[in-house]
Amino acid sequence: MKASRSLVILLSIAVCVALPPFLPRHFVDLLVFAGIYTVAGLGVGLLLGQCGIANLGQIVFYAIGAYATAYLTVYVQAPAMVGFVVGMLISAALALTIGWPILRLTGYFLALATLAMGIVANALFFEWDWLTGGTLGIGGIPKLQIFSFVLDTPLRFYYLVLGVVAICLLLAHNLIRSRTGLALRAMRDSQDAAISLAVNPRALRTRIFILSALLGSVAGSLFAHYGGFANVQSFGIEKSINFLLIPVLGGATSLIGVVVGALFIAVVPELLSQFGGLHQILFGVALIGVVVLMPAGLTGALAEVWRRSAEGARP
Amino acid sequence: MNVGLLAQSLLAGITNGLTYALIGIGLAAIFKGSRVPNAMQGEFSVVGAIVVVLLLTGHGWPYWLAILCGGLSGAILGAFIEVAFIRYMIRNAAPEDSYLLLTIGIGLSISAAVLYFFGRESHLLPGFGSDNLYIILDAVVREHVIWLIAISILLTIGLRQFYRTTSVGLKMMAASIDPVGAASIGIDVTLMRTFTFMLGGALGAAAGILITPIIPVDYMIGLQLTLKGFAAAILGGLTNPLGAAIGGLVLGIIEAMAIVGVSSSYKDVITFSLLILIMIAMPQGLLGRAGRTGG
Repeated sequence: MKASRSLVILLSIAVCVALPPFLPRHFVDLLVFAGIYTVAGLGVGLLLGQCGIANLGQIVFYAIGAYATAYLTVYVQAPAMVGFVVGMLISAALALTIGWPILRLTGYFLALATLAMGIVANALFFEWDWLTGGTLGIGGIPKLQIFSFVLDTPLRFYYLVLGVVAICLLLAHNLIRSRTGLALRAMRDSQDAAISLAVNPRALRTRIFILSALLGSVAGSLFAHYGGFANVQSFGIEKSINFLLIPVLGGATSLIGVVVGALFIAVVPELLSQFGGLHQILFGVALIGVVVLMPAGLTGALAEVWRRSAEGARP
Repeated sequence: MNVGLLAQSLLAGITNGLTYALIGIGLAAIFKGSRVPNAMQGEFSVVGAIVVVLLLTGHGWPYWLAILCGGLSGAILGAFIEVAFIRYMIRNAAPEDSYLLLTIGIGLSISAAVLYFFGRESHLLPGFGSDNLYIILDAVVREHVIWLIAISILLTIGLRQFYRTTSVGLKMMAASIDPVGAASIGIDVTLMRTFTFMLGGALGAAAGILITPIIPVDYMIGLQLTLKGFAAAILGGLTNPLGAAIGGLVLGIIEAMAIVGVSSSYKDVITFSLLILIMIAMPQGLLGRAGRTGG
C-alpha cells in the first residue's frame, strides 16, 4: 500500500512536469489557473478539513495579494518580491485582527461571518479607487522574471506555479503530520477533550486562519502577475464560493483532494462552455451531484471504489 | 437635515427592511424546521416573481391569479428540494456543511437557469392597488408600499399564529425540536420537513412578488436577497421567525440611516460590519432567546 502510494505520487509528478509542453496553449492556461486556485484553495482546505471551519472570505486575502502586487509593481515600480511580501504581511495582520474575534463563532455563524467579511471587503475595494483602481482596476502589471528569464508564456509561468504548488503541498503535508496537525484534528473532533490536553482552540484556529490568508495572498499575487491586471470584478462573492468549493469537491481532508477540486473548478466550466449558455446550469448541477452523492468529495468517492474493489478481490 | 428627508429615508428603510424581513422569516422557518441554512432563499423570490411576470405580461392572466401561482411555484420548488435532495442526504447522515453547499449549488443552478431561459433583462411588476401617491410627514409614499407593509405584518403575525395554534404548525415545531419524540407519538417527521420547505418556499416567493413592484427582478438578485435575509435572520436569532422580522426592520433602518449619514456606497460596508459585530457580541441575536431550542 505504502509503496504503491509513493509510486502514484511520483507518477503524477512526472505527468505534471512532462505533459504540459505537448498540450495546446489554451489548456496550459487552464492548468496555470488550476495551480493558482490550488494554492488559494489549500488555505480553505486546511481550515475546512483540519479545523472544520467553512471559510467564505478567502477572496479578501486573494484580492489583497493581487492589489499589493499591482499597486507596488505598477505605481511604485518595486520588485515583484516586494509585492508578494507586502501582500502577505497585510493579509497576516488582517487575518489576525479579524480572525481573533470571529473565530469564537462556530459552524454556520462563522461561515456567514466570513461571507460578510468578503462582502465588506468587496465594497471597499470598489470604493477605494485611489488604491485599487475601482472597476477599471490596475493594468500593466509586469511579467515575473527569474534573473533574466521572463515568464511571459503560459508554459513558463506554469512551471513556476507548479513549483509553488509543490512547496505549499509539502509544507501542508508536514503541518498535518506534525503535533500541530494532531492537535487540530483533536480539536475538530472533540473540542473539550482537546482543551483538557492543553490545546488552546482559539489561538490554534487563528494561526491556521493566518496561514490560510498567507496562501490566499500568494495566490492573488501570482494571479496579478499572470493576468497582468487586477480589478474589482475578479474578487466577487462568487469567487469566494468557488474557493470553498475546491476542497469540498475534491475532498477536504486530503491534500490531493484540493488539487483535484482546483482542476475541477478551473477546467470543468471550460469543458462545459461548448454547451453555450447551458454551461452554468450544468456546472451548478454537477456541483449538486457531487455534494449529494459524494459527501467525501471526488477523491473520497474514488478511495471508496478502490477499497471496495480491493475487498471484492479478496476471497 | 430636514424632516422630509429623514421621513423619506426612514420610510425607504422600513420598506427595504420588511423585504429583508420576509426573506429572513422564510430562512428562519426552514432553519427552525430542518436545520438547513438555506443559501438559496433569495432564489425562491426570483422564481416566484418571474412566474408572476410571465403569467401577467406574457399570458395576460389576472393579477391575483398570477400572484397565487407565483406563491404556489415557490412552495412546489421548496417541496421538490426537500424530496429530491435533503431527504436523501439526511438518510445518509451527510455532514453539516454539506447542506450549506447543496443550497449554494441549487442557488447557482437556478440563477443560471433564469439567465438561460429568461435573459439578462430585469422586470418590474405593477404596484398592488392603485398607483396613487400619499404624503405622510412630508414623505411621498406609493400605495404599493402601504400594501407591502400591511401584508408583511399580516404574514409575520399569521406565521406566528400558525406555529402556535394550528395542528400542522405544532406538529412541525415538535418534529424540529425533538424528531425522535415526535415520531414516537405518530408525527410524520419527514412529511413535516417537506411542509417546512413548502412554507419557506412560499414565503420566499411572497417576498419576491411583494418587492418586484419596487426593485426589478433579474437573474442576479437572488444572492443579494439571500445575504440580506441571512443578515436579518441572524440579527433576530436564526431560529425565530419573529426575530427575523425585527432583525430585517432594524437592518433596513440602519441601512437607510447609513445612506443619509455617510454615503449610499458604504451601506453594505456598514450593515455587514455591524452584522459581524452583532454575531460576536450577541451570538443569540437581538431577541436573545437561546438559539438551540425551537423557540
